[in-house]
Amino acid sequence: MRLTDASVAIRPRNAWEAIDLGVLLARRHRGLLMTSWAAISLPIFALLSLLLWERPSWALLLFWLLKPAFERLPLYILSRALFGEVPSLGGSLRAWPRLLRPQLLASLTWRCFSPTRSFELPVQQLEGLTGEAHRQRLAVLGRRNSGSATWLTVIGMHLELALWLGLVGLLYLLLPQGVSLEWDWEQLIFAEQHDGLWLEHLSNLLYALVLVFWEPIYVACGFSLYLNRRTQLEAWDIELAFRRLRQRLTGAAYALLLGAALLLAQPAPPAWAEAPVDPQGPLAERLLQQPLTSKAAHDAIQQLLDQPPFENRKTVTRWRFGADAGDEAAADQGDAALVRWLEWLLELFNGGYLVQALEILLWATLVSLLVLLIWRYRDWLQTFAGRLGLPQRRPTTAPSVLFGLEVSPESLPEDVAGSVERLWDEHPREALGLLYRALLSRLLHDLRLPLKASHTEGEVLALVAGLAQDELHRFSRTLTTCWQDLAYGHRRPPAEMKTELCAAWRRLFPAELPA
Amino acid sequence: MLATARPLDTRFRVETPEGIDLLLRPAGLVPRALAFAIDLAIRGLALLALFFLLGALGQFGLGLGAILLFLINWWYMVLFEVLNQGRTPGKQWLGLRVIHDDGTPVGWAASLTRNLLRFVDLLPFAYALGILSCLSHPAFKRLGDIAAGTLVVYRDSATERPALPETEPLPPPFPLSQGEQRALLGFAERREQLSAPRRAELAAILAEPLAVAPEQAEERINRIARGLLGPT
Repeated sequence: MRLTDASVAIRPRNAWEAIDLGVLLARRHRGLLMTSWAAISLPIFALLSLLLWERPSWALLLFWLLKPAFERLPLYILSRALFGEVPSLGGSLRAWPRLLRPQLLASLTWRCFSPTRSFELPVQQLEGLTGEAHRQRLAVLGRRNSGSATWLTVIGMHLELALWLGLVGLLYLLLPQGVSLEWDWEQLIFAEQHDGLWLEHLSNLLYALVLVFWEPIYVACGFSLYLNRRTQLEAWDIELAFRRLRQRLTGAAYALLLGAALLLAQPAPPAWAEAPVDPQGPLAERLLQQPLTSKAAHDAIQQLLDQPPFENRKTVTRWRFGADAGDEAAADQGDAALVRWLEWLLELFNGGYLVQALEILLWATLVSLLVLLIWRYRDWLQTFAGRLGLPQRRPTTAPSVLFGLEVSPESLPEDVAGSVERLWDEHPREALGLLYRALLSRLLHDLRLPLKASHTEGEVLALVAGLAQDELHRFSRTLTTCWQDLAYGHRRPPAEMKTELCAAWRRLFPAELPA
Repeated sequence: MLATARPLDTRFRVETPEGIDLLLRPAGLVPRALAFAIDLAIRGLALLALFFLLGALGQFGLGLGAILLFLINWWYMVLFEVLNQGRTPGKQWLGLRVIHDDGTPVGWAASLTRNLLRFVDLLPFAYALGILSCLSHPAFKRLGDIAAGTLVVYRDSATERPALPETEPLPPPFPLSQGEQRALLGFAERREQLSAPRRAELAAILAEPLAVAPEQAEERINRIARGLLGPT
């Protein structure tokens, strides 16, 4: 046995991991293990079934009891394969009878029922121990990991059952519908008495097939548990590392010489300090296991950095002063101009011109805002100015001319009635015109009627009616009719109207009578 | 041919984008089956207790029981895995946890996928497909794990500070790689578990490179290990 040839990574593991390693070991050699198991177990199963055709349960029991005998073959294959000498199928089958000889009876009887059977098998078969030595060895090895070996067996039993049920279920699912309809569960259970023997043998065969898959794994798990225990007890991993170290140090002559020299001197500086590229350093190539290695990534990044989004080369054309000699000078001058402008700005601030201008601007803004505010609410102010105590503005200015007639009081003579009486006979138009003008003037200035230049004679009459002065209204109506007749109809008013109108006038406006 | 193949190991190496190797230890069928059995027992007990509790409530209890049955059946694993760092009570008991393939904590999507596909693993009966898949996959995945990209691993337990023999420290006389330093330290740490003849046998391997007599090799290795450990 040479540990350096081991095909598994040797290190102390916990018990569950050791079992997992067994699964991996069986997986690697699965073809050989399963075919060899099938090659020895299936013919014996067939023989047993034929011999005990009438009693299928007995055949199954006998086959089950023979399991430890079959288990020796996978263990043999695994123990050879562990150190790289995988036997051929023929070689392992030929070796099997020889493996069967020692302690077959014990294996097939009382040791068959041990819950840690898989763990004990290597002690018996590979170490060849018997009797007291076997017992003591098991006591030492079994101090640890035996609990896991028991669980392995328990799980294994359930697993055999689960796989067997799975196979039965699969077969049942694959049955054509017509066949399955004929079956009856009662008939299935009590088929023994009738013609259902082949059915039982079929289920036995399924069990044998399950064992072809599972038993090599079970043996491998027990074997790896055993290996793990020995690795713990005998520090196989340390032995392996020490042997490699010794080989490294004594293998080459210069190392030997150096070692001898250095033993007397100081400890050597770490070897990797002299390497041209530190294998652990940032410059070393890393991520070698991945699709994108560190070198490829570095190259791709460099390539990207040379491309447009990162490397912006562009041509800029613009106007410049002719005096500028070159780019450098122009840039300098530009800077100088900026500095000067800033200085000028600072001076402005210090001199106070800018401050004054700003002040004016602010005041102007305030005033215009106020004006705007007043303009905006001018209607409101008009409505409520009276309440606020502001002087009421005269709403309208009296027009001085109505219907082309002068109505201002200044244009009228002192004695209107006398003037009318004098003019009536020669100039009746002027006389009536004067009287009418005088009436309008009185209406405007004494009675404050809001007459406008656009009013007609009729409208003036209506306004007068609104004053509710019967005499004035009657007089105005008579005068207006006479005036309209004369002015537009050229009909002279009757002569008796002269005295009537003048008398009415004097009655209505006596204040103008000379005192 | 097989001698040149990489030695079999149960460790699963995940290289992160930063170039750091994470060592994951996928868990195989036996501990997982035991964890499942524990979870199954817990669920069974919970349902039994609910049955008696809700039986007293009559029709309403029946409806409530149906809802709780659904929750316990379909969400027990998912809720525990996502909210309890990938550990159901059974997995916690056996030191297992569920993670993504890249070592990150398992999320809702992955956990739901792997637990809904449990019903594929159940086919055709009694988890037969799941067992076959688990025993055949190099990382012991069942079909739900393959679909969800998850991994059941052993949790790393806190390591205890090992006791080294009290001797005078000695610097190593030759440059040592990390693995070799570990082996020397391991020899000193595990001396309690090894028999005296075995210790002497192991130490004698290094007697020649250390340029000492085989009898003194063990003492010398312990001193070097002490030196490697540094002041404590």
